[in-house]
Amino acid sequence: MAEFITVAATGDVEEGAAKAFEVKGAEVAVARSGATLYAFSDICTHRHCNLSMGGEIDGTTIQCECHGSMFSMETGEVIEGPATEPIKTYGVREQDGQIQVEA
Amino acid sequence: MADRTFVIVGASLTGATAAATLRGSGFDGRLIMLGDEPHAPYERPGLSKAYLRGEEPAEELFVRPPGWWDEQGIEIRLEATVERVDPREMTVTFRAGGSLPFDSALVATGVRNRVLDVPGADLDGVLQLRRIPDADAIRDRARGASRAVVVGMGFIGAEVAASLRQLGLEVTIVEIFETALFRVLGARIGKVLELIHRDHGVEILFEDNVERLEGAGRVERVITQRGRSIECDLVVVGIGTEPNVDVMAGEGLDELGGIRVDATLRTAFPNVFAAGDVATHDHPVFGTVRVEHFDNAIKMGEHVAGAMLGSDDPFDDPHWFWSDQYDSEIQMGGVRLTDDMVLRGSLEERRFCAFFLDPAGVLRACVSIDWPRDVRRSLPLIRRAVAPDRAALIDPAVDLRTLDPARA
Repeated sequence: MAEFITVAATGDVEEGAAKAFEVKGAEVAVARSGATLYAFSDICTHRHCNLSMGGEIDGTTIQCECHGSMFSMETGEVIEGPATEPIKTYGVREQDGQIQVEA
Repeated sequence: MADRTFVIVGASLTGATAAATLRGSGFDGRLIMLGDEPHAPYERPGLSKAYLRGEEPAEELFVRPPGWWDEQGIEIRLEATVERVDPREMTVTFRAGGSLPFDSALVATGVRNRVLDVPGADLDGVLQLRRIPDADAIRDRARGASRAVVVGMGFIGAEVAASLRQLGLEVTIVEIFETALFRVLGARIGKVLELIHRDHGVEILFEDNVERLEGAGRVERVITQRGRSIECDLVVVGIGTEPNVDVMAGEGLDELGGIRVDATLRTAFPNVFAAGDVATHDHPVFGTVRVEHFDNAIKMGEHVAGAMLGSDDPFDDPHWFWSDQYDSEIQMGGVRLTDDMVLRGSLEERRFCAFFLDPAGVLRACVSIDWPRDVRRSLPLIRRAVAPDRAALIDPAVDLRTLDPARA
């Protein structure tokens, strides 16, 4: 059953940045953009680069540094190739100074 | 549109992207993609890198999973060599005989490798790289081999040399120009690439060329014009390409070696389009250009699908590519370097983004080594022909996105 798992303190994920955490064996990136938190698979579906390592966040999208695949952080869908498969997204919330990912 | 037939010549990344985009845009007519290889469309960058080194299976290369094309109602005919695209009769004819009528056709035939024309070039063990079987042949030959010669230090030569070193072979490169990747990256950045390769133990002979290859049936040594004799177990030739324009030869469309299209990627014939490596296009920023890059294959494939459906939008992507060599990552935006280079980072430390301005101060291109973010951030500036402040370009603390007036 899905539950909220604490991955970090609120201050650990800064505006415009993404950070990766292991959540139930999955690599999950948590990003903050426009004061909103997003959680999604950290692994680009094109060539498995880590999106949190150099991925460029712009509004609700993140672009993989390796080969330019761009994903919606909200829905996981591909905005720009070469990737063709979406990334998984997760529920995320902030509570009592903690960031929690739903998994 | 259900009664219309679109034919894509070339089951390439460009062709595949165009087909997928056409379906994604609601095109419900007949969609046929013709390829002369036995494989469904695949990505080629890995052929000189992870796939060549045996670190990545072939399945990873495919643009879409098997079965996807069928699901989308896209007919793929493989090992079907097209002889001619007739823009007046609106038919495609096959080398093996037979023809196919079309309402609209896309030529996405790409390029082929230039052939080394010296004595001994037909010896066993003299290889080149474009397709999956070529990479397989190099990997097979490299297994158990100890010495390789790479002819040409363009991107394919440089990447193959790096991969062969990583597989443990001794590698010598023979390059006609004065430094690595001279024509694309110029002497200063080419020098950095040269040093990276030398640090990894590659021997490089610049301003030299292959005179002949010798061996009893299989290649044993390379003799250069300057008189060097290099013993080797295999030779990989990467001396440039020629666009596959034959299917439209004689139509008066040739320019810069490729097939001439306008800014929308349409040829002089209203129902025939060209895209990808083969397409010489009118670019709103760069003028008449033809580029051979992975990203361009995708972007042009997407764009030409729109054009085939009637859009008149110009293709204005600023062009971008990358190259991985050892643990260095090279990226470039734009198509041509200018003389005026502004540097962020350090050439000596081999970590930089170099910006190239024209005489009016407009950003035309950029090249990075292990500094990819600023190439990406430069692309909108190049597309909009922005003349950025030089001090801002030099200062790594300045976010290039703030230099884009469209975002300010």
